[in-house]
Formats: sequence, structure tokens, C-alpha cells
Amino acid sequence: MDDLMKDRMDQLLDHIMKKCLWQFHSRSWDRKVQNEGVLSKATQLLCGEPVDTSTPLAKCHWVDALCLVNDYKRRFAWVSQLKPDEIKEIMQALHERLDHLTITGSLNLELNDQHY
Amino acid sequence: MPYHEFKCSTCIPERKNHAVIKGPGEDLTMALPAGYLSTIPGTISERGCAYCGAKHVIGSPMKDVIHLSHGPVGCTYDTWQTKRYISDNDNFQLKYTFASDMKEKHVVFGAEKLLKSNIIEAFKAFPNIKRMTIYQTCASALIGDDLNAIAQEVMDEMPEVDIFVCNSPGFAGPSQSGGHHKINIAWINQKVGTIEPKITGDYVINYVGEYNIQGDQEVMCDFFKRMGIQVLSTFTGNGSYDDLRAMHKAQLNVLECARSAEYICNELRVRYGIPRLDIDGFGFEPLANSLRKVGLFFGIEDRAEAIIAEETARWKPELDWYKERLKGKKVCLWPGGSKLWHWAHVIHDEMGLDVVSVYTKFGHQGDMEKGISRCEEGALAIDDPNELEGLEAMEMLKPDIILTGKRPGEVAKKIRVPYLNAHAYHNGPWKGWEGWVRFARDIYNAIYSPIHKLTLLDIAADEIATDTTFETQVMLSDAALSEETRNAADLRQFTGQFDGLKSLRGKTYPEFEAKTAGAA
Amino acid sequence: MLCELKERERAGIINPIFTCQPCGAQFASIGIKDCIGIVHGGQGCVMFVRLLISQHLKESFEIASSSVHESGAVFGACGRVEEAVDVLLMRYPDVKVVPIISTCLTEVIGDDIEGVARKLNEGLLAEKYPGREVHLIPIHTPSFVGSMISGYDIAVRDFVKYFAKKTEPNGKLNLITGWVNPGDVTALKHLLREMDIDATVLFEIESFDSPVMPDGNHVSHGSTTIEDLTGTANAQATLALNRYEGGKAAEYLATEFDIPTLVGPTPIGIRNTDAFLKNLKTLTGKPIPQSLVRERGQALDALTDLTHMFFADKRVAIYGAPDLAISLAEFCLDLEMKPKLLLLGDDNSGYQHDPRIKALQQNVGHEMEIVTNADFWELEDRIKNKGLELDLILGHSKGRFISIDYNIPMVRVGFPTYDRAGLHRHPVVGYAGATWLAEQMANTLFADMEHKHNKEWILNVW
Repeated sequence: MDDLMKDRMDQLLDHIMKKCLWQFHSRSWDRKVQNEGVLSKATQLLCGEPVDTSTPLAKCHWVDALCLVNDYKRRFAWVSQLKPDEIKEIMQALHERLDHLTITGSLNLELNDQHY
Repeated sequence: MPYHEFKCSTCIPERKNHAVIKGPGEDLTMALPAGYLSTIPGTISERGCAYCGAKHVIGSPMKDVIHLSHGPVGCTYDTWQTKRYISDNDNFQLKYTFASDMKEKHVVFGAEKLLKSNIIEAFKAFPNIKRMTIYQTCASALIGDDLNAIAQEVMDEMPEVDIFVCNSPGFAGPSQSGGHHKINIAWINQKVGTIEPKITGDYVINYVGEYNIQGDQEVMCDFFKRMGIQVLSTFTGNGSYDDLRAMHKAQLNVLECARSAEYICNELRVRYGIPRLDIDGFGFEPLANSLRKVGLFFGIEDRAEAIIAEETARWKPELDWYKERLKGKKVCLWPGGSKLWHWAHVIHDEMGLDVVSVYTKFGHQGDMEKGISRCEEGALAIDDPNELEGLEAMEMLKPDIILTGKRPGEVAKKIRVPYLNAHAYHNGPWKGWEGWVRFARDIYNAIYSPIHKLTLLDIAADEIATDTTFETQVMLSDAALSEETRNAADLRQFTGQFDGLKSLRGKTYPEFEAKTAGAA
Repeated sequence: MLCELKERERAGIINPIFTCQPCGAQFASIGIKDCIGIVHGGQGCVMFVRLLISQHLKESFEIASSSVHESGAVFGACGRVEEAVDVLLMRYPDVKVVPIISTCLTEVIGDDIEGVARKLNEGLLAEKYPGREVHLIPIHTPSFVGSMISGYDIAVRDFVKYFAKKTEPNGKLNLITGWVNPGDVTALKHLLREMDIDATVLFEIESFDSPVMPDGNHVSHGSTTIEDLTGTANAQATLALNRYEGGKAAEYLATEFDIPTLVGPTPIGIRNTDAFLKNLKTLTGKPIPQSLVRERGQALDALTDLTHMFFADKRVAIYGAPDLAISLAEFCLDLEMKPKLLLLGDDNSGYQHDPRIKALQQNVGHEMEIVTNADFWELEDRIKNKGLELDLILGHSKGRFISIDYNIPMVRVGFPTYDRAGLHRHPVVGYAGATWLAEQMANTLFADMEHKHNKEWILNVW
């Protein structure tokens, strides 16, 4: 990924970390589901692909994804210029980075607690 | 992101794991304060106990309930009349508290009989109240009284009453957070699903983790009702016991304070398949996004947008008036558990304040992850702060205001730092658009208080100005503003009422056409 | 007899008048200079008491917790005290006095706080803090015995017992005030000064009313010193104002050091202040000066304007600390009022032998009830369901909703009074206190007459 894309990815990430709450559920498994659910749907929305909202959980992910995408488009003009493969690339990197920050690299000792 | 060592705490090196300064370019994987660990004895920590977390914080806001603590009288007295969680039934839960009055003989011989007499008496004293919560305390836990058995016995004898038992003695965990957890789980295990509600609309939510501080819940429910949403229950502010027994029938859990109430949301998701949507009721943009999301979930986002447009138009000129005057002011955001992340980013974005420190008394590391992510670089994050560290931090950071509890507020006063009550609010409610302006107004009035300015003058050493006979907040705040900002025609100060709730109670709401036949 | 003494008959408490013993011990501890107490129990026992005190005084005080969590409750928590003492001493270099205050939790599990103090004295203090003056004072205040009142009484006694040491007579008077406000201490010291009496005041809490200064941190501390406490054994006499708050310490000094001692009366009202001055005179031989005759005259002048015109036959309910509540009732009777109900919030068996209560039982000429071990329901139930009619309530802020909901004017007095501004600055004792109290009552009644349009025109001429 080039510097420009990386810089853009950082902007998208920063927005999530500052404005959203869905990535901060209290356990690793839960965060994995959330990150995957919201970001995959956000990617689909950005690419104009159909999104599954058939279950309550999928619907919640879609809601958070849609708000995220709308914010992205409003805040970052370049988002609307990206081609689908660029979107997929940047969102993939974003997903990896977010998983790192909130799950795999997280210092939160409660993440793998079996109880609440 | 280096860990921060307080000078006053070098002698207790483990404290170093509890404070972090957010450095440039650093992220959460480099440092994170420890959280929810055993308190170090003798530090003069600000933490409370698991009993108060269960009874005082989560249990007691339930409005139509006799709240009875089984133990000596002190726990009950101490957790009575120190909060501002009001209700629309004339504040029954604020006014009345019950203690079984355990004495030495009961400690020796058991207090179950005493408890039973208490329950019967309390229902007799308040014949219109048919619901009760019994809270265990340190003493009743240690002597091993079986609260559940006594409650069941009474329910068998008095079929019209229902009793909930919460076993969360003061020692059950490092802080009040242990009690939040215990009462959440006890409620879903004992009470959810034991009553079937009347569903009156197409869109049904539980509003969870909202305690109606100065009317927050009523403000938020106003928005939901304007959207045609049925708020089946609120956990627990202004909440009704029987409504909360029916939580299993909602389509969505809207979660506000994830610190105190995510447990019950998670269980509702596992047991009943009800999804959880985390929201922020504080701040224009987070609140707008929150309503928007709930609207999207139900396919009624147009109703949300109408409210957002109306409220923003009404209140934005007032918020911006304050923002112009609060820009760059430094804040120590020192609440209990969740407000550090509810507020950290949005008081920066929407009021122009710089959060120089966040702390949490009873939060977990998850709260710190959210809080640190949301505050700006350079902020000092402290877990389980204590008296000396708080003073050292204020001396180091020189905040213009701190948002914290009543007693730490008195400490701040002595070093000439204005304070607002982060738990109970000064002049709330602070949720909703109007509430957010109220909050900005309260911050503004604290920072630009002429009396505060006088505290900074040393009459023995400084020049005393005799040409100023008084000052106003506006004289102080506007001195440094440009002519244009000062006179901006599109900005104005707060114009709401002292008690905005009066117009909400008894309000009628528009009828929306039912989505499907027979939904009502 | 028209005045009955009875005990609450119900098993439970609906809205408590008092909190538990550890609170009283904590309030006593903050009166001592260089003292930070450690409450051995759960954290709530400290956090809420600190909040309560700060609500009342609008100040913050330092009190520590041993933070007993689950494992301590199961396996014993003496180790938590050891750690707490060390942490406290390391971080607060001025601290010399450390009461270790027990709670229900640590009394039930049977933690040996004397043993911990011994162990620390021989180990930690000797090894890590040699040369530093540190006093560890175990104080047993199980929450299931007595109340905040007895907790205060026990703690004062334990502090005195620990420190008092007979050396040379110091010619001073021990004045044990009981649980009062900074304003009361100021008023009492004024009376002592007028009488030319040198006294050790337990406790010196005028400094609780601390300032905001242009620099530095001036957070409140008490200012009774170790020397003050040590010297109590060498006093020429002891005067304890309150039987139930400080009486135990007075009794200890009397028996242990043979010090002439008088207990009571609480100098609330003219008559009780007269008796207080007489007691001072008896114990020290000092005459009552003309200045106090004049001060008394000013108070009587003020009261005369109020009594038969406004106070006569007004029906009053009084609750709170026993010495305070009883003396307020006595004062009200002198003001021609009718105390109808007196609520004492604990089960102290001494009440039935209290001569002041006996005197009420024998001499009150209207129907009156004195309820011990009482809660607020004893008051509210009588108003709501049993036809009790009142013109005024006297008591602390926790009873505020009875006043609000039943439209009965109320004068805040006692502890805590967080819902009114600055009451801790004003005395209720002495002649000045009598005037202040009477005028507070009058003005409260006046405001109520106006709000209710109840002969408010009377005040057109007065």
C-alpha cells in the first residue's frame, strides 16, 4: 500500500476510533464479530454491492456501517472517487489494523475472560 | 504512549500501571492503564463498594419499587439522598429507603425472621407498591442469611407482590462495578421473561444503561416517542419493575452506559436474540447519529431526520455561542465510569474544550480504550485515582475546569479550579440537544464566574483594581473575542427553561399508521 | 403522664435518622491534627461518609480505607490494614495518628485489629519508620451496634484513653463538645474567653471552615493536637456538653485520673446556657462576667419579641442526635411551644434513665411522644395516617421530604444539613445560638405564612 493510501486508511481508522463504539464490545470474540460485520458491510455499501440485513444482528451491523459510510463520504471527499478494488484494499487494511488495535494487539486483559 | 508515574506514588510502584499519557502517534497497543484491579489499601482511593454499585447506582432508580437493604442501617442511610435520579411518580425511589436494621443479636442468631417481618411491614406501609428489591450487604452475606428463600416464602404468602433479590455485598469486587455486574445478571436470571407486555406499536426497544439523572431518560424517551417507538422498558432510570420483567419482548436494545449495563444486553442477545446498539445521548452529532441508527434499524429514519433537523435548528445557535467562548479551555474529565468516553471527543468537537485528562474510578480497561481513543494527544489517563494523584495532576495540568464528583469538587475548589458535578449534573438534564446546551452553559458559567476570578487575586501582594465595580461572565468571556464573533447575529445564549421537564410530562405524541395489520 | 416514652414497634427502618457507628468514629477522627483514619472494611463505608461530611460542610476530608474485597472477607483481612498503614505513612509524611476503625464486615469475620496494631508497632514501624511518631489506635465500631452517635462517643473515648497521660497539672479545663459545627466551637470558645477560662477543646474544628487562598492548597483539617489529647489527664476539670457524644471520654478521665467532671447540659437555649456557665463557674471558680449578663440580655430581648406573639402553642416535631433533640425540646418549651414528637434514632438503653427525658415525662402538660430507635416513618406515618398536626419540624436534612410533601415548615439543625447554605457556620449553642435558632424558627414560620397566605398580613406591623 502506498503512502497516500496508508494516510487515507489512517484517517478512516481515526474516525472509527474517535466516533464509534461498535468496535469496543467487551470480549475478543465479540469484537471480531463486530469488526467483521460492520466493516464488511461498509465495504459493500461503498462498492454499491447488495447488503444482507436479514437477521437482527446483520441489521445492526448494516446500521453502523451505513452511518460510517455516510460520515466517510461527508468528511472525506476522496472516498467517493475510489474504485471498488481500491476500496476493498483500503478497507481490508483498515480491518486488519482495527483488529490489531482492538483485539490482537490490545492490552485489555479482560478481552479473553470467559465471564463478563 | 508512556506510563506516567506520579511523584506522590513512586513508593507504590504498581500505581505506574494505572496512568498513561497519550503521546503523538502512539496507540492503544503501546500502553493501557490497568483497570478493575484490587484497590491498594490506604491510597485514599475514590472507589465505592459493590453494594452501592448494585443498590445505589443500578437498583434504586427503578421507580415503583420498595428498595430494602438487609443489614445494619448505615448502608441504607449512606446511599440515600446523594443522587439526582428522578422519576415521574413523584420520586418515590428517591424519597423512601428501607433497612432491615440488623443488630448484634441478629448477627449472632440470624436475621431471616427479621427480614421477613421487614418485608411484610414495608408492603403494609405502602399498600400501593407491590414490588420490592432486597439487597444483601456485607453483614447479611457473612452470616449467610438466605434472602431468596425468605423472598419466595413471602411471595407464596402474598401472591400480589413480587420480590427481586440482589446478592451483592460491599466486598464483592474491587469497586462498585462488581455490583453493576451482579445486579444485571440477577435481574435477567430472576425476572426477565416472567411477564408478557402489551406491545402497542411496530417498533419496540429497551433503553438500557440510562438512569434519568435530572431527567435524561425523559428527554431521550421524548425523541423515541416522537419517532413512534415504544420504549418497553428503561434499565433502570425512571424504569418500572414490571416493564423490566418484559425486556425479552423488545426488538432492539439501545445501550447507553456500556459500563453499567452491557452485561444484561449481552445476555438478552444470547438468550433472546435481541441485538444491541450502543449509542451516545450526549452531544449534537453523537445524539443525531444515535437516533438515526435506531431509525435506520426500524426503517423510519425519516422520522429521526425530522427531529434532528428541528432540534439542531433550535439549539445550534446557542451551542455555538458557548463554543466560541469555551475554545481552548482545559478540562479534567474525571467522572466515575462511562462519561469519560461519552464526553471526551464531543466536548472537544462541539464546545472547543481540550480534554487534558480523563480518569475513571470504577471503569474497566474497555472504558479506558474508548476514553483514550476519544481524547486528544497529551491527555493523561488515570485509573482508580486517589487524593494525592488528583492534586498532583491538577497542579501539573492547570485545568480551567474539572468535571467530577461532589467531594473531589471540594478539593478542586481549594486550589481554585471550578468544578461541575459529572455524576449528578449542575443544572441538567444534559442529554438531548437542549441538555447539551445546558451543559455548555454550566461549563461557561463556572469558568467565567467573576467570583472564581476573584479567588486568583492576592490582595496583599497584587494590584487591586478600583475602577472595576463588577464584572459579568460576558465581560470576562468576550474580552478576547473578535468584534464579529461578539456581535454575531446568528448566535445566542441559552434560552431554555429552568425545568424543561414540565413540558414533557403529559405531552401527547403523534399517532403513526401501523406498519402491519394487527400490530397494535 | 401526657408524655410517653416508647420504642419503635416495627422491625425495620423506613428512612433512617442515623447512620452507623463507623461514621461517628470518622467524624471524630477528622478533628485531630495530622490524623488520617483507616476504616477497616468495604470501600463504601468510607466513600459515602466522606461524601456525607462534604455535603454538610462543603469541604473535603481525608479518610482511608483498607479496601477489603472478597478474598479478605473469606480469609481475613488484617493484611489489608498492614498494607494500608504503610501506604498511608509513605505518602503522607505528616501523619502521626492513625485510628483503625472497624466495621460490620471486619467485626463479623473477627479481624484482630489490636493484634495488627501490635504487629505493626513491633515490625513495620520499628523497622521502616524508626524515629517517626506514629500512633495506631484500634477503634471498634461494628455497624450493627449503636449508631453514628455511639460511634462518635466510643472514638472520642478511645482517642483520650490512648493519649491521656498524667504528668503535671496544666490548670486547664477539658471541654468535650460532642458532635457540633465549627460555628458552635467558635461560640463556645467565646464564652470560655469571657469567663477567662483556658480550655482544651475536643475537638478544635473551627478550621473545618477553611478558606480559598490565592495560592497553595488549604483543604480542611482539624487542629486538636496530640499534646492537647495527652494533656487531658492533667486538667483541673472536665465538662462534657453532651451525655451521648463525649460522655464516655469524660467518664474515663474522671475514673482514671480523678478529674472533677460534669456532663451536660447541652447549652442550647437560655436556660441550658445558664447552666453551662454555672458549671464552668463550679469547675473553675471563675465568676460569670457582666459581659455575659449583657449578652444574655440581648438574647432575651430578641426572644421576647417572638415567644408569646409567634411561638406560643406552636406544635413541633424534633428528631436527630439525642442531646441536641432533647435540648431543642427543652428550649421550645421555654419558648411556649409544644413539642409533640421527639425521635431518637437508636436503641440506646440509657434514654429511659436520662433525667431530662424523665423530666419531660413528668412535667409536660400536653400530649407528647418520645420514640427511641426511631425512623422517619414514625413521623410521617403519624402525619399521614394518624392525624398528627404540626406547625414546625426541627431536624437534619434527611427528613426534608416530610417537610416538603406535607407542607410543614422546617428548620434545619444538626447533622447533616446539606440542603441549606452555610448552617455549619452558625452556632446553636450559647446565647448567640439561642437567638439564631429562635430567629431561624420565626423567619421560617413567617415565610410559610406568606406562602400559604395564612394571616400573612399580621407581619404588616410588628
